[in-house]
Amino acid sequence: MLEVEDLVAAYGPVRAVDGVSLTVPSGSITAVLGANGAGKSSLLRAMSGVVRPRSGRVRFCDADITRRSPEDIVRLGLAHVPEGGGVIAELTVEENLRLGSLFRRDRGDRPKALKEVFTLFPRLEEHRRLNASSLSGGERQMLSIGRALMGRPKMLLLDEPSLGLAPLIASRIMSLIAELREKSELTVLLVEQNAKSALRVADRGVVLGVGRVVAENESAKLAADDQLRQAYLGF
Amino acid sequence: MTRFIDLTLNGISNGAIYAAVALAFVLIWRATRVVNFAAGGMLMITTFIASSVISSTGSYWLGFFVALATGFVLGSVVERVLIRRVEGGPPLNAVIVTIGLLILCQAVAGMIWSATPRSFPPAFSIKGYHVGSHTYLFGPFDVFTVLAVIGAAIALFALFRLTDLGLKMRAAAFEPVVARLQGVRVGHMFTLGWGLASLAGSLAGVLIGPQVFVGPNTFDPVAVFGFTAAVLGGLDSPVGALVGGLLLGLSLSYVSGYAGASLVTLAALAILVAILMVRPSGLFSSARARRI
Repeated sequence: MLEVEDLVAAYGPVRAVDGVSLTVPSGSITAVLGANGAGKSSLLRAMSGVVRPRSGRVRFCDADITRRSPEDIVRLGLAHVPEGGGVIAELTVEENLRLGSLFRRDRGDRPKALKEVFTLFPRLEEHRRLNASSLSGGERQMLSIGRALMGRPKMLLLDEPSLGLAPLIASRIMSLIAELREKSELTVLLVEQNAKSALRVADRGVVLGVGRVVAENESAKLAADDQLRQAYLGF
Repeated sequence: MTRFIDLTLNGISNGAIYAAVALAFVLIWRATRVVNFAAGGMLMITTFIASSVISSTGSYWLGFFVALATGFVLGSVVERVLIRRVEGGPPLNAVIVTIGLLILCQAVAGMIWSATPRSFPPAFSIKGYHVGSHTYLFGPFDVFTVLAVIGAAIALFALFRLTDLGLKMRAAAFEPVVARLQGVRVGHMFTLGWGLASLAGSLAGVLIGPQVFVGPNTFDPVAVFGFTAAVLGGLDSPVGALVGGLLLGLSLSYVSGYAGASLVTLAALAILVAILMVRPSGLFSSARARRI
């Protein structure tokens, strides 16, 4: 579904992503793991168009999306949930959600999509008229995932959805990701620092060193590799 | 007592105009984080255009709506052609571009329409209403002024709060990157924001025109008062712009009436300094840090 080939993304002279290649099969959950500063978020930003890749290629559903704008990429069905969720604090919960569906031409489907998100996250429906700034960290994360779902994407790019959340909430978010794959046939690329919980839901994992892929394998095999665990995954 | 009522009514009428100018500053600041120092020049140009249309066709209303329309177009074009290049860059670049644009507007206006101010007709009579033996400093044109600004404010409020387009504009203003990830064409929203801001300024121009006359520099005080009102209100709140405009209009009217007209400009400065000392982010600003 998503193929990345020798991707390079840089901020000035600093190459945050330095020749990364990876493939995300349709219907899979793939985890991108690695320490702080390994280039995980930059990789996602380069895929979704927020950062313009310097070289390499990104293909999504057989279309070349390298250097296309984020507005166009989301329209193709690749939704990026940025680090921290990117919830717009000044808008209400419902406005944040509606925003996620405005680019779609199928207006009639918007209320239906909203209803589905509310069924998935009843807390959001309770708070629908409140400003998003009043939500807790976990609720914000749910809101941002819900907002991405409003656009009915084919694939989600999730950037550290469990960052800063209490362990219980973090594990709920993880099981939700697994549930979304089952129910909505979503493909997910999950960036996580918490490798242990990410590998529990992911089929496959890609481990990044400083800007480069150092290992790529099935989740169970990555988790079983003692050396890799100690050097990169920290558990 | 009638004196107080007179000054209050006059303050409301002028305050409405300052509020419209303040809206022009606020809408642009919200969208692109640029203080548009050319606002006064842009509304001067559109008022001159209205003046030409009125004198050649004889129709006030044609001139009125042409001013609003050219205001919208001028604002959009300025954003797309000039401001787009300095957005997100060092704030000083944008400041210099808008100041340059102000000078350009004034020079061009002087070349086309001459530097001598000319009169500008009001939509309705400016003669005050008679009640008993007293003639109030508030006439049909003042009523129109207040209603036009209220109407524009309501239209903007409805656009921002009730429409999908307004939601996209707000999202683009608050979090441009996040908005792009939701498929919002942020550049278009900025262009539209500048267009609407400039339209609000044009409205103020035709409303204050009969008072200040139309010349290349006659709108400078209005622009300064409008900016003061915008800062009073917090610079990023449209409601703040309206309240700031009204407060400033009333205060300046009382100062002018009770202390002397020559103190008005000084009073505006004093009010600005006082508010910024008590509430540095303005009366209605959200709690976010400001760059200016």
